Amino acid sequence: MLTIKNLGYWYDRQENSLFENVNLEFEQGQSYAIVGQSGSGKTTFLSLIAGLDKPRAGEISFNGKGINSIGLTKYRQYNVSIVFQSYNLLTYMSPLNNLLTAMAVTQSSHKGDKKYAQEMLRKLGLTDEQMTKNVQRLSGGQQQRVAIARTMCCDAKLVVADEPTGNLDEENTQDVIQLFQKIAHEQNRCVIIVTHEPDVAAACDHSYRLAHHVFTAEK
Amino acid sequence: MNFFKRAWLNLVAKKGRTVLLILVTSAIMLFVLAGLLIRNAADAATSNAKKSIGATLTLSANREAAFKKMRQGTASSTKTKPSLSMTPVKLADVKKIAKLNNVASYNLTSTTSVNAKSFDAISTSSTSSQSVMQGGGDAPGGDKMTSSQGDIAVSGVSATSLTSNFTDNNYKITKGRGIKASDANTNNIIIETELAKQESLKVGDTVTVKATSGSKTYKLTIVGIYKAPSTSTSSQMGPGATDPSNTIYSSYTLANTIKGTKYANTADSVTFTVSDPAKVSSVKKAGKKLINTSKYSLSANDASYQSVKASMNNVKSFADKIVWLVAIAGTIILALIVILMIRERRYEIGVLLSMGESRMKIIGQFFVEMFIVLVIAVGVAGIGGKFVGNKLGEQLVAQETSSTASNVNSQRPGSTGGQAGPGGSAPSGQAGRSGGASFMGSSKTDKTELDVQVTPTNLAELGGFGLAIIFISITLASGGILRLSPRKVLID
Ligand SMILES: Nc1ncnc2c1ncn2[C@@H]1O[C@H](COP(=O)(O)OP(=O)(O)OP(=O)(O)O)[C@@H](O)[C@H]1O
Ligand SMILES: [Mg+2]
Repeated sequence: MLTIKNLGYWYDRQENSLFENVNLEFEQGQSYAIVGQSGSGKTTFLSLIAGLDKPRAGEISFNGKGINSIGLTKYRQYNVSIVFQSYNLLTYMSPLNNLLTAMAVTQSSHKGDKKYAQEMLRKLGLTDEQMTKNVQRLSGGQQQRVAIARTMCCDAKLVVADEPTGNLDEENTQDVIQLFQKIAHEQNRCVIIVTHEPDVAAACDHSYRLAHHVFTAEK
Repeated sequence: MNFFKRAWLNLVAKKGRTVLLILVTSAIMLFVLAGLLIRNAADAATSNAKKSIGATLTLSANREAAFKKMRQGTASSTKTKPSLSMTPVKLADVKKIAKLNNVASYNLTSTTSVNAKSFDAISTSSTSSQSVMQGGGDAPGGDKMTSSQGDIAVSGVSATSLTSNFTDNNYKITKGRGIKASDANTNNIIIETELAKQESLKVGDTVTVKATSGSKTYKLTIVGIYKAPSTSTSSQMGPGATDPSNTIYSSYTLANTIKGTKYANTADSVTFTVSDPAKVSSVKKAGKKLINTSKYSLSANDASYQSVKASMNNVKSFADKIVWLVAIAGTIILALIVILMIRERRYEIGVLLSMGESRMKIIGQFFVEMFIVLVIAVGVAGIGGKFVGNKLGEQLVAQETSSTASNVNSQRPGSTGGQAGPGGSAPSGQAGRSGGASFMGSSKTDKTELDVQVTPTNLAELGGFGLAIIFISITLASGGILRLSPRKVLID
């Protein structure tokens, strides 16, 4: 579903390329872990496949179409959903409104369906009271579950997550891993998770290590 | 959850910030409104001043040299009779000029004097030297002076409604009516209220007067009584003037008849009212082509219009400067605040961008938020604007009035006085002076009328201004962030 060809990226000078000639293929219904040392370029890679930035070299295609020709904004709107370490919720809203906003912005098939959003939040363990108070009053684990619920409410077939468990304790981490597995297998999406944690990588269907400018499959 | 709703949620969720934004925006809007109000008031006052002051052209004999001589004469000797030095204006010339564009109306003035016969003139007892010089109230005969200078001044006009003393509301008809064009060739007169009181004269009464030379008498019908300002009797009467209450107004034809047959169809001077004061000089140019300039002079009396125009333009340019200064300062301040606000919301922008929200809709959300703030701020400014505008308006009026008053004084030498036509003869000299005074008076009134009121139009104008300011501010502020790639917004 997501095809990466000869991808290369550097910040200031080409000699300092983070990675070069990356060729990878990510499939629908599968979960992928990307591991690597801090500073190796995992977040940078993720931002490229999420359409947040443009590659220096090579091409990324979604279902056979270059994401540049789709248009990065449209690509983000319809095809990719992102989960961040810092949750990235709209802080002036309730969890429910965060979900409704995302559903409206991405033109989700459930757009405007408040019940669906509530149900999703309930599934992820939020009480009705928690749903309507400001997101900043929730714990880190709760906020991350809201962020994941947001992704689940949207129709994007590609889900990328950058250290989604980075701020979470053991128990919450297990919950989140389970959720991502569900998203990949039950909702038939492609999940790509950047992580430091071996547990998380182990739970995923596939695992790639980024080291010395190249990705190598570990699983 | 469209961006309108997001904007609303944001304003409600961050109440403290919203209140601060409203306060700052209100303050800026208040300043802009004050500037707009003053500018509008200055605009209105300028056009009012133009309308109400009007400007005139005076056609009279070109007698500058004789005029000077005669003035010297009245001061020291009795050699020159004022009436002898004048070349009357011919009615035919007047009609030619009256046909020019922008000439609204004209007033013929013919002045003379007679001696009261069936009644007594008011004698000014305060200055004995004056009555000696005048040759005394109604003492007949005597020296040369009294033979040409009666105790009753006859001010012949086309109509009192065209005469500056009356148009300026200095003189008021209190009973009966004024002199009208239809009074031509009649012996209808109006007299001053003091004279009427002293002699128990009413509208409808007839009085007789006697020519200053010869024994001819005239039977005159009182059709109206007017009131001259009481102050003019004491302060505005120059040496050589009889009491102003002794002035009677009649049709110019009566004055001509009294002066003698060769004065038929003439006037001492003619005042043309020019409908648009700005056109005075062009009318004057055209008029000069129609007359024999060696015999007659056509002079423009738009000094007070010019000075009012100048001072109003001062107020206007000052107000314009305020508007621009405040608008620019307001834009800068608001833009800086909006830039700070949007930078603070960088994270939020990043989140929206990562979801695939379009940049236009993100800007749209900020715009809606600021628009709501602006609507409230315009309301607040509208309430406060009346107060601030009034204070500023008063300040301006106080400054400008004093400077204009001196302007008008210096720019109005006595000789240009509206009705001062056949200068030298006492009553018209007096009229000229009060004419000058009334111009000053009216220009002052126009200034204190710097009426500051907040109208819906003002608020709409202000809203437009505010919209422009927030548009520029948001564009400037968002431009910086939205130029960046979403990754930079979000992660860096
Ligand atoms: N804006 C930038 N300009 C220049 N260099 C940058 C910029 N952002 C990141 N880098 C550098 O690029 C390299 C990769 O950064 P990146 O954030 O992708 O690493 P990472 O693998 O996600 O690290 P971590 O595991 O700590 O999150 C780092 O060496 C970092 O210093
Ligand atoms: Mg990283």
